[in-house]
Amino acid sequence: MDYRVHLAKRMLTNKKGSLIGAVLAVSIGILVIHVNFVIFQGLYDAIVRDLKDYRFADILVTNEEDYIDKNDIALINWFERIPGVEAAASRMDSSASINATSNGKKTEEFRIPVVGVDPLRDTRVSTIHDTVGDGQFVFARNSIVLGSRIARDLGGVQVGDDVKLKFVDKFGVDKIKRFVVTGITSSAGGQGLDGSVVVHIDTLRSLLERPDETGAILVKLNDPTKAVEIKDFFLRSFPTDDFKAETIEESAEAQLSGFRSGIALINLIGYFGMMSSAFAIVTIQMMLVSSKTREIGIMRAIGAKRKDILILFMVQGLIIGAIGAGVGTALGLAYTFYAKETKMQFEGSLALEVTYNWEKIIQTALTSFALAIVASIYPAFRATRLLPVEAMRTV
Amino acid sequence: MNKIYGEGETAVHALKDVSFSIKRGELLLIVGSSGSGKSTLLNMIGLLDRPTSGKIFLDGTETTTLNDNKISSFRNSKLGFVFQFANLLSDLTVLENILLPRKIQRTDKNAIDDAKKLLRTVGLEKQMNNRANKISGGQAQRAAIARGLINNPSIVLADEPTGNLDSVTAEIIVQLMKSLVKKLGQTFIIVTHDKHQFGDVDRVITIKDGRAFEEEEPKGMEVAAT
Ligand SMILES: Nc1ncnc2c1ncn2[C@@H]1O[C@H](COP(=O)(O)OP(=O)(O)O)[C@@H](O)[C@H]1O
Ligand SMILES: [Mg+2]
Repeated sequence: MDYRVHLAKRMLTNKKGSLIGAVLAVSIGILVIHVNFVIFQGLYDAIVRDLKDYRFADILVTNEEDYIDKNDIALINWFERIPGVEAAASRMDSSASINATSNGKKTEEFRIPVVGVDPLRDTRVSTIHDTVGDGQFVFARNSIVLGSRIARDLGGVQVGDDVKLKFVDKFGVDKIKRFVVTGITSSAGGQGLDGSVVVHIDTLRSLLERPDETGAILVKLNDPTKAVEIKDFFLRSFPTDDFKAETIEESAEAQLSGFRSGIALINLIGYFGMMSSAFAIVTIQMMLVSSKTREIGIMRAIGAKRKDILILFMVQGLIIGAIGAGVGTALGLAYTFYAKETKMQFEGSLALEVTYNWEKIIQTALTSFALAIVASIYPAFRATRLLPVEAMRTV
Repeated sequence: MNKIYGEGETAVHALKDVSFSIKRGELLLIVGSSGSGKSTLLNMIGLLDRPTSGKIFLDGTETTTLNDNKISSFRNSKLGFVFQFANLLSDLTVLENILLPRKIQRTDKNAIDDAKKLLRTVGLEKQMNNRANKISGGQAQRAAIARGLINNPSIVLADEPTGNLDSVTAEIIVQLMKSLVKKLGQTFIIVTHDKHQFGDVDRVITIKDGRAFEEEEPKGMEVAAT
């Protein structure tokens, strides 16, 4: 083995404290980035996942400014014939005033969003039916599922109770209808319909006097990466209709854009952490160099060139970087694994959507490794400036 | 040759017009009181530092104009060093320390045999695999001598090699160096402030306030000193 590499290894193993300190600096920098990624990207992806599962599916088709007036079954059939599409279903959004009579006392009226669903098809594009913890999903024309917040605001309405909704139809006429509560929906993190109510889409259509209209078509794909392709194909196929089609990223943009800049900030903090690791390495390497002043002098005296001293300390940086990157990545992966296996979540919030982003993992490891080497340049250079007479120093 | 440390008012004229030569196979003692310039002179001869003016010839090569890499190679192949304190790299074993000049020279292919032979010569074969900071001061000086010899240098330079040792151990080191001069014809330049330790030697140069004086008769000096 090259004597410089050999000596670099020995110097580090004989200075365990410095080695451990430097390795920790690198690996903690990496770990912080992994933890940030698991938590914040995990939260972001979890929100995307829930918005997709509950509200938007992979592609959301609406009309530019009004309800869709094309036959929804025809559109659903059109989509379901395309390879890559798993299912499609109609929904209709509206709003109403709600009140209930509990214990013989009428509650105050307030406005709520109303979502009309096609109960059979909806279960194929959305998991909102799974969030009905109490009772069951909409099944009949007069059944209603209340979001948990609505049920609470109505003074603790329960399954089996009646609620009264007042709509304003297409012609501006009030329509009042009594529903039986069949279920209460509640989602972890509240990205579901906790603040809405769900009714049968046909009930909603007739109440609004819009028998042939549809609010939106939710399209679920087998392969979500095809979303843009299928969306574009759809828009090309219906050029004269005022359809609007959006992928989940587009439809959730409003909810996500703020979050994304948050993640960018967190990442920035992570990279600052990495930079401070680099400064820690500069400090530790400077200490190593000054503790080896005499030894460097001796090496120079017996013929080692400046370049040899440079290589010696650069190899130390390389070793620190390699071990640090290895340990840090291992710790980060262990944390990621733990978060994924335990479906990590924070106090009643939604479960993180934990993924292994190999590109980012490798990039983080390589960056830290490279930073450790870069951080060694200055100390190594300083070492080369030490003079051979240092070996002669009598103290 | 002259050496001036620093500039202006604080300048120290450490060597003043020092001039001498040494022949192959000689043992030369440099003596003088503390601060007289002995180490400075040895640093110049050892190419560890450059003189302010003057020239140093080593095996016919004028060395003061060489660049840092050339001088490093020169030190590696033509000079051996024994210092007063902590001569060895504490991270390596005794054997690895002795091999280091050969590794630096990249001629370490069959160097282990040479190193072991030298270890026997200086009486350290039992300690060769010990960490260099786990041996006694006298053993460290012997290891340094072995390291100084491994590249067959023209001169071995020693700066107060016994300065840090008890008198019994010091005597062993002195006898070892003297025997190496005799057996191998190895040239030695040794700085000491205690020339009695060395008994009869080939030559003695006395440094006083940066000036060198050579006495043909070291014993006469001794008388003068008392
Ligand atoms: N690096 C240096 N810078 C300034 N002055 C020095 C330096 N090294 C030695 N000197 C001075 O040069 C003189 C000779 O020192 P030195 O050669 O170490 O003496 P000796 O080895 O004989 O004790 C002393 O006055 C010392 O203070
Ligand atoms: Mg001295």
